[in-house]
Amino acid sequence: MQEFLIEFEQVYYKYLGSQEAALNGLSLRVPKQKKSALIGQNGCGKTTLFLLANGLYKPDSGTVHWRGEVLRYERNYLSSLRQKVGLIFQNPEQQLVASTVEEDISYGLCNLGLPTAEIQVRVEQALIEFGLTTLAQRPVHHLSLGQKRRVSIADVMVLQPELLVLDEPTAYLDVKHTRNLMATLTRIHQNGTTLLMASHDLNLVHSWADWIFVMHQGRLVLEGKPQDVFMQRDLLEELELGMPLIYEQ
Amino acid sequence: MSLQIDTLAYTNQLREIPPEQKLIFAIATLIISLFTHPLIQILIAIWMGVWTVIYAKIPAGIYLKLLIVASFFWLTSLPALMLNSVSVADLQNVLTDSWSGLTLGHYYIYISRNGSGQALAIFTRALASVSCLYFLMLTVPFTEVLQTLRRLGFPVLLTELLLLMYRFIFILLETATELWTAQQSRDGYRTWRISMKSLALLIGQLLKRTLEQYYQFYLALEARGFKDEFRVWHSRHYHPRVRYLIEAILGCVVLIALEVCQDAGIFNRI
Repeated sequence: MQEFLIEFEQVYYKYLGSQEAALNGLSLRVPKQKKSALIGQNGCGKTTLFLLANGLYKPDSGTVHWRGEVLRYERNYLSSLRQKVGLIFQNPEQQLVASTVEEDISYGLCNLGLPTAEIQVRVEQALIEFGLTTLAQRPVHHLSLGQKRRVSIADVMVLQPELLVLDEPTAYLDVKHTRNLMATLTRIHQNGTTLLMASHDLNLVHSWADWIFVMHQGRLVLEGKPQDVFMQRDLLEELELGMPLIYEQ
Repeated sequence: MSLQIDTLAYTNQLREIPPEQKLIFAIATLIISLFTHPLIQILIAIWMGVWTVIYAKIPAGIYLKLLIVASFFWLTSLPALMLNSVSVADLQNVLTDSWSGLTLGHYYIYISRNGSGQALAIFTRALASVSCLYFLMLTVPFTEVLQTLRRLGFPVLLTELLLLMYRFIFILLETATELWTAQQSRDGYRTWRISMKSLALLIGQLLKRTLEQYYQFYLALEARGFKDEFRVWHSRHYHPRVRYLIEAILGCVVLIALEVCQDAGIFNRI
């Protein structure tokens, strides 16, 4: 039977001072061990959803479950949740908080209060795994966007999360860096991490994802396997999301 | 400019020397330069210049530019130091102090000998201390200065504040450059009037965007498990070099010895 890692049930969320709700009765379940993709227009609530998944926002109403358990909005619980749900922000600039690559990767580990020896081992492993060894001592503001993206993924993966949530990770990346990124994500998935990625690149989503969610105006309007989702041509056309090239006539 | 200094600090030839040693060296020379005579201060300035430009391989042009910036502050204080005025009736009292001067109505305005001496003393002292600080700035990355301070028992709150400020300088600079470029590309600085308008817009937007960025930064810290204290781990790959250590210690000893000799009046008697 399919297990679900994180489940949203009838979640409503409205930003302070805005007219419309960002999430409008969203119900969505992220299947364990799968590569899920989230598509939808700009402003359909993807980023809000991710911030809720990380416990950074609290729903106005409705519930979020982690492995069947309702999220508790208290310090210790959230801190352990944030270790299990790794969140990669759309803008890597936002995520890099320390001044050198190595320090930035160690930041989350230090917050967990791990012993120095273990931090050292894990940081060094992450540097090798993500090909950042030569950049270890470099200040983060000297890096290119592709490099920053790689560091931001290493930052989160070093904490060994069960679910990795990525907000448009391929935005602004060129073909080469996108390919490298996807190879990295495949490797992460093979090592047993569940993935949820928001993207506008339907070709990428089509070839990569096991499961697709389509969001519109703060709601889930469609979900399913790629071939099933892209069969719903009329609905996708209505939402003006486009189609992967392979389905275009 | 700030970015350039930062880059140099990360790439200079003295990077591998432990930051504690450079920090202590800079502080020691700074203290010496504060209480010695002008001649020795000039020696210090030259010596620190050698360290920065020849040993650390910081481009001489950049180093000179930095020194000129510092001298500019000294220049602005020159008039206040050197120019003096008295009423014509008191002219007799200042004749010995006056280098040259002119009478303007009831006032006699003159260049003071005392003041000039003071200005010169301030110049050599400023030059010496600034070259010590530049040595530190250009050879030790700011984060290493902070780590060293932390190890030496500096309050964590202060080092964290400094670290956050340091990160924000670059976010601010980048935001400002982006806005500036966007305005330039739409001819926002074509005439003086338009320039002023664009600049006002830029400053307003800068504040707004910085606050926004600050909030995003806060979210990122939370998402990554921020717990009251900003802690990171870093590896150490430093190799102390005996040759530099010897030169630093010997140099400081020689400087102090010279100062003592001068105090004893050896040079005056010659």
